[in-house]
Amino acid sequence: MIFSLLDELLIFSAATVLVALILGRGLAVGWMVTILYAGQLLVLIKMGALGYGGDPIASEVSLSVMGQDLSWRFDALSWFFALITLVAALLTSWFSCGEWERKFKQQGGNVWLFHLAMALNVFTMLILLASGDLLSLFIGWELVSWAGFLLMAVAGGVATKAAIRYITYAVVGGMSIFGGIALVYAAAGSLQYEAILIAVEKMSTGQLWMLVLLFGSGFGIKMGLLPFHLWQAAAYAETPGPGSAFLGAISSRMGLFAILLVLVKLFGIVNIDSLKIPFTLIDARDLLAWIAVFTIIFPTYTALKQNDARYLLAWHGIGQGGYMLLGLVTANSLGAAGGLLHVLNYAACQAALLMAVFAVMHRTGTADLNKLGGLVARMPLSFLVLLTGIIGLAGLPPMNGFVSKWLVYRSLLEDGMPLLFLGTIIGTLGTILSVYKLIHNMFLGQLRVEHEHIREAPWSMMTPMLILAGVIFVTGLLPGIPLTWVTAALQTIGLTGPEITLGGIDSSSGSLDMIWVIGVLFAGFGIGAVIFYSAGPSKRVHQLDNYAGGHFLTADVRYQYSDNFYSGLMHLIRGWYRGSFQWLENSITSLVEFLSLGMQGIYRRANSEFYLLSTALFIIAWVVF
Amino acid sequence: MAPIELLIELTLMPLIAFIVGMMMVLMMRRIAARIQRRIGPPFFQPLYDIIKLHGKRTQVSHGLIHDIGIVMAMGGYIAAETLLPVPGMNGIAEKGGLITLLYLMMIPSLGLALGVGQCANPNGSIGIARALTAMLAYDIPLVIVIFGVAYAAGTTNLVEIIATQQAGGFATWGVVEMPLLAIAGLIAMHASLGKQPFEIYIAPAEIATGPMVEMSGKYLGGLFVMQCFQLYTTSVLYVSLFLGGGTTWFDFLIKSFLVLAIPVSIAYLFPRYRTEDLLRLMWKWPVMLGLIGLAFVM
Repeated sequence: MIFSLLDELLIFSAATVLVALILGRGLAVGWMVTILYAGQLLVLIKMGALGYGGDPIASEVSLSVMGQDLSWRFDALSWFFALITLVAALLTSWFSCGEWERKFKQQGGNVWLFHLAMALNVFTMLILLASGDLLSLFIGWELVSWAGFLLMAVAGGVATKAAIRYITYAVVGGMSIFGGIALVYAAAGSLQYEAILIAVEKMSTGQLWMLVLLFGSGFGIKMGLLPFHLWQAAAYAETPGPGSAFLGAISSRMGLFAILLVLVKLFGIVNIDSLKIPFTLIDARDLLAWIAVFTIIFPTYTALKQNDARYLLAWHGIGQGGYMLLGLVTANSLGAAGGLLHVLNYAACQAALLMAVFAVMHRTGTADLNKLGGLVARMPLSFLVLLTGIIGLAGLPPMNGFVSKWLVYRSLLEDGMPLLFLGTIIGTLGTILSVYKLIHNMFLGQLRVEHEHIREAPWSMMTPMLILAGVIFVTGLLPGIPLTWVTAALQTIGLTGPEITLGGIDSSSGSLDMIWVIGVLFAGFGIGAVIFYSAGPSKRVHQLDNYAGGHFLTADVRYQYSDNFYSGLMHLIRGWYRGSFQWLENSITSLVEFLSLGMQGIYRRANSEFYLLSTALFIIAWVVF
Repeated sequence: MAPIELLIELTLMPLIAFIVGMMMVLMMRRIAARIQRRIGPPFFQPLYDIIKLHGKRTQVSHGLIHDIGIVMAMGGYIAAETLLPVPGMNGIAEKGGLITLLYLMMIPSLGLALGVGQCANPNGSIGIARALTAMLAYDIPLVIVIFGVAYAAGTTNLVEIIATQQAGGFATWGVVEMPLLAIAGLIAMHASLGKQPFEIYIAPAEIATGPMVEMSGKYLGGLFVMQCFQLYTTSVLYVSLFLGGGTTWFDFLIKSFLVLAIPVSIAYLFPRYRTEDLLRLMWKWPVMLGLIGLAFVM
């Protein structure tokens, strides 16, 4: 048997899991695993033709389970997601090598389990991305869910709690997907994509609605779409550093991948468009778009309230998912490209940001935004990475986030959707506010006495962070490179991409050329610098040499504004945080608990006559009606 | 276009913006003076001020980010000017468009925010927190306005938006076709300038002038330069969106100065709002006007 490149990739990935499993307690396992990730990435790069519209690569392995054929293959869409997954895995694993690992072990962490969980996550994600039919998709989906659970639970304590909350959601999502698959099988008689594509054309509106709801909510749970988002922030934030960065960067996007595959490719945007909600003017696609916008707004403003850097970023992760979905459901060439490009751009930014936060945590031992400050003087490179990341996350030029968000804005403008457009901007403004709070409270302002002697993060952590910062800048400067992959990926799900130039987009209703924009921006900075530095030398003063209304400042006086940062804003909007979603979750939990108590009560009685009677009644009722 | 011509345009556009911006500062001060029954400063006072501030012997720096913040504050606007068409010069307006311009205009705020944060003074940080809150307040109506104009024009290309208005004459100017959006835009523009009654982040009586508390010498000078650019950019953007841009430099400048004179005249008649009142006001009136105006456009 001759292995295809895809088989090589999967075998490589499985080998990584084995190495982590067997040699995991030995020395330098982190480095070994990192090198293996690099190997996987090389195989993926060998499959690079996929990213430029090459033919799909199938796996030579196929199974037949109970009459169902299972197959695996890679196309441009899988390749694009796999690229992000492997780069994220490589860099976060690199970050974990050496000093981070040692400290993790000192604090009682299980390094072996951590690397194993990471490797398992990567392997299962690749299997999911390679799925060639609905059944293999479902298997991959479940594997990813449980691998994710393992990684989230590694840290123990609060993390385990968050992980259990996650897996509860994931199991419900899995059941919903399974229900959807059963319905599809009943309608199409097969789980092969080709057969489903034919069957979809004949489905009734009711059937389609049911499927959209089942699959949409099942996959939406993983993406953290409203109202299924509550599990995500704590689960991601409490995962050990590099794992958190990896999950934050890519894990949720598996949900987006599945949504693209099932809702967009199999059911088709046109079909979804035809599903009207009775008595309203909106259809299923508008519903998805509005869910996306609310997913942008609510989590972003929840992030604004957070006082823990990890939680702040994790909440933003949920919010940014909304931009991706929104762009993709607009389904015009600009929006779809923007949504998919944002997956890559966001992954780079989020991984860089979380790594920078964990680098600070590594040195200071805290991510509490009220207990940091002034670290730019001690950790300038981490500051640089965080700055690059927040500009990207907020979507300002010159970083990559601007390009993908620009595409989404433009698509909404073109389609004439002012309220959705406004929603995205409200989200962006909220992001700017909260990321400034992040960088201000960590790196700017007064350096605390206890942080007087800390050093920059070690190079084993700094190097992957700097590489990511480079990726954020370069994909912002030359968005044409990733956009080519995005266009190829869009074609596999039946959408078309925009006209691409190296510097951005060529469109009759307004183009974008980032090379020029960034060129003039840096020229502007250059002129600004000439004006500024030609004005004579400045005198560097100590941070305590500061205006304090006539008082003398001493090192023990906290002279930093960090708590209740946007007090004026909060004064107005505090009442709007009602915790409705928390209430909804609680009431569902109580309902389930109540029902299970009732069931328990019935079982405890063990009244066989009662069972017999009720079953008989039920059967009679079923026969009669 | 020949590269050399483009280069000349890219150099001239920020330079003109700076000079006009200084004259706008002068106008602002003179209007304030007249309202307060003073004579006001001489013609070259803004230039004297900038030179004086840059020439100070004691320049207090709180670290590299403090310096870079000021550079970003100036540089962001210098770059933004090249995307803002003026009579006879389009620069690279067609390569960026309206949305890019809007976002480039946020870079100076970010630079200022970083620089002030580095100063390690809570008064400055509170000022920045308020300034960013103000941005959240006025950008929402502003974005509705921008959406309306761009949707009505069918493009985000500022050059085309201006050309369409000029081709159709006064009747096709944004202010005639979309009066409600024009009013909402004017209020949002006023707030974006940070002038009274929206001057929440300077507030000397409460937070010791906020962002400027640790700025001296060339740092304050840099912010002065930034203000010149800010006044110019805001009024020229408004003229481009609603008043048909300028066919000649003469009418272009007259329009720009007149537009700016409105918020400036109002500013010196009013005291200042509190932060939450600003939010409430911005999210109520201009947003409502903007949405109604938008409904007419759609």
